[in-house]
Amino acid sequence: MAHALKEPGWYRAALGTVIGAAFGFFLVVGLRLLAGLDAFQTEQTGYPQLVVPLITAPFGFLIGFGAFDYWFRWAAGKPTVPDDHSGHGATRWQDYFTFNTDHKVIGIQYIVTTFFFFFIGGVLALLIRAELAQPGTQVLDANLYNGVFSTHAVVMIFLFIIPMFAGIANYVLPIMIGAPDMAFPRLNALSFWLLPIAGLIFLGSFLAPGGSFDAGWTGYAPLSTGAPVGQSFFNIGVQFAGASSIATAINFLVTIITMRAPGMNLWRMPLLVWANLSTSLLVVGATPFIAGVQFMVFFDRIMGMNFFQFLEGGNVLSYQHIFWFYSHPAVYIMMLPGFGIISEVIATHARKPVFGYRLMALALLGIVVLAYSVWAHHMFVAGMFSWLRVPIMITTLLIAVPTGIKIFSWLGTLFYGKIHTYSTAMLFSLGFIVTFTVGGISGVMLGLVPLDIHMSDTYFVVAHIHFVLFGGSVFTIFAGIYHWFPKMTGRMYDERLGRVHFWGTMIGTWGTFIPQHWIGLDGMPRRVVDYATQYGDWNLVISVFSLVLGLAQLVFLYNMVVSWKWGPKAGDNPWRSKTIEWLVSSPPPTFNFDEIPRVVGGPYEYGTPGARHAIMGGEDAETSVPEPKPSTVAAPS
Amino acid sequence: MESASITATGQATTDDHHHHGPPAYHQSARIDQTVLGILLFILSEIMLFASFFAAYFFIRVVTGPETWPPPGVELPVLIAGINTVVLISSSFTVHYALEAIRKDNHDGLKLGLVLTWLLGATFLFIQINEYIHIGFTPRDGAFGSIFFSLTGLHGAHVFVGLLLLTFATVRAFRGHFGPAHKDHLGVEVPGIYWHFVDIMWIIVFASIYIL
Repeated sequence: MAHALKEPGWYRAALGTVIGAAFGFFLVVGLRLLAGLDAFQTEQTGYPQLVVPLITAPFGFLIGFGAFDYWFRWAAGKPTVPDDHSGHGATRWQDYFTFNTDHKVIGIQYIVTTFFFFFIGGVLALLIRAELAQPGTQVLDANLYNGVFSTHAVVMIFLFIIPMFAGIANYVLPIMIGAPDMAFPRLNALSFWLLPIAGLIFLGSFLAPGGSFDAGWTGYAPLSTGAPVGQSFFNIGVQFAGASSIATAINFLVTIITMRAPGMNLWRMPLLVWANLSTSLLVVGATPFIAGVQFMVFFDRIMGMNFFQFLEGGNVLSYQHIFWFYSHPAVYIMMLPGFGIISEVIATHARKPVFGYRLMALALLGIVVLAYSVWAHHMFVAGMFSWLRVPIMITTLLIAVPTGIKIFSWLGTLFYGKIHTYSTAMLFSLGFIVTFTVGGISGVMLGLVPLDIHMSDTYFVVAHIHFVLFGGSVFTIFAGIYHWFPKMTGRMYDERLGRVHFWGTMIGTWGTFIPQHWIGLDGMPRRVVDYATQYGDWNLVISVFSLVLGLAQLVFLYNMVVSWKWGPKAGDNPWRSKTIEWLVSSPPPTFNFDEIPRVVGGPYEYGTPGARHAIMGGEDAETSVPEPKPSTVAAPS
Repeated sequence: MESASITATGQATTDDHHHHGPPAYHQSARIDQTVLGILLFILSEIMLFASFFAAYFFIRVVTGPETWPPPGVELPVLIAGINTVVLISSSFTVHYALEAIRKDNHDGLKLGLVLTWLLGATFLFIQINEYIHIGFTPRDGAFGSIFFSLTGLHGAHVFVGLLLLTFATVRAFRGHFGPAHKDHLGVEVPGIYWHFVDIMWIIVFASIYIL
């Protein structure tokens, strides 16, 4: 036992958590007693004796778990442990519960963890729909309802969509660019382990005195500065999730910039790599803003500061400006990696090069630039500077241009392609294009100041966000999971169950969210536990379809679990794709390659005889370099 | 990762069949990974400061109190100015340390690092003294909040910078580091961070104390 407490692992992590929590607790109590105050402070915005351990315990956990062992030795000037790579790869399921620095293990850790939170968020969503199925309050009381919809949004955004994309990219991106691992493997592992911490903090807020945070995922001040202590859980959880995001983004950027295989110049990078490059630029630039603004709310709550207290000279509206300066780019953080996935899937399963490849990459960068200039379209009715409305409206509408480029490029790629509709990945991509376009158009409507004033805080907004986040991001996630499932597990999923999942999800999504547009335009307000009886019929319809949507996800869960264990062997390249991750075995070997591949062409040269993207190590370079003319390839040798 | 930080071409490791580590990656950019990483991290740090400067802008300009700072508040501009000189001079000493190790001058490295550390600690010491004697608290209006948040956020960065410098100094006295670029990254990277902390202080000082 004493030995187990010295080695990094779960025992030491448990000990570290306890020590961390005790340190925070006694620090607060001790300082308060020294200052002559009561040991405990139980104002609803305070509870420092509860909130400070919430910050120190995770650090204790991470130290105990071994996240910092290498860096501690390095900092003390001791010889660092030579990398024997025993922390690499996973041979048993237990290896997924260690501080593993292998990008593929971390990718799986991310994906499984985020799906776990997806199902928790889904249960919360079904609770919301159960409550809203009938007018009046039946299932949840008003307070709990507020907590449930806030937690639903936060879990889905910070613990499902954003980290899921990080997880998928973690797995495939280094292989795609011909790198043996990420640039900073230890930082990568740390990024992952910050996530479950954030998730537990968010969910733990239900146990806090006064209940879960209930000011919405936006946590607007001054609603949040006066809310019960659960709101502090939100402030702190966001810091952990945000730090994880930023660290991953830095890791991706450095990996993409410095570790590409020879021959892979910018215009030979697969679009998934481009998409993650763009997303990471957004994360590095924007995420600190939500960290900053949650610090300010936290200071107002815990230390009695006055950032958002009007009577003390604070500025209430500044919360929304700073918050949306992150949170609008965040919707592109939640969408751009999905764009990358869709480009990969559509090119592969339509057997055609991506139409307008360079413009696709430039459109991503265009969205990055524009994303920073549209934050205030969330505030048209907030009483902000009136002169800012029209410029923001124009930049908002401008974003439709690069987004439109992408939609038309996918359509151009599909045009005259051999569309493999038997593949569930392709079905989800096609479903994505249709659903996301509808969500994009309702976004253009909301970007128009006069319409926005009419539709603010109605179910129309709820319908829009779910069309772009569920019909958009989540569909791309499913497309990506189905597309790379054979690569990650080495096994094939059941396409029949995949189709059931797709049609259940498609019908569920449209049935749930299309009527919300209508009742929204009719004036049904969002974020309310009860509503006027005239909306009762449509809400019942919506709740029934949301159940369909929820049940369809169980089909997915069953398909994934059973196929991972018992599915037929997939082979290295079941989709006959050209990008590098398909040229290694399934699942790939521990360090991806024995020898770094050489890139000799574009990633999507489908239909061009003899065209190749990369030459793997071990192949004889002399004979396998493609001849420039197709005729020489066809000639018998 | 240390073992991976060697540049190689595609066919470097073919004859080593007992090689179980990762193949050396192909270096597709000239910039060092750690340096690029710290620069990107600094970019996100700048944005963190920017969020607090945004709050500062809203409190001071948009809300627009008649007097700024509030009546009765006298900021110790002179002491803070001296402190600024202290911090800026530490940028030069850390640069001296880096130049020294580039020329394989280990004594110069140690001297530069120790001087930088002392200057940084002096800055922090004066800053804490200023907090004690300044006569208002973070709870005193929005001015108090933004004053203590911006200078405190910066102070936290000085503290982190000092920690990094401590590591570098310990390692310097243990005889680590050398003139080759990859052998003194442990000095260069904390140095870059330290320069960032200094430049950020100039901006904080100018907007809080002078403007």
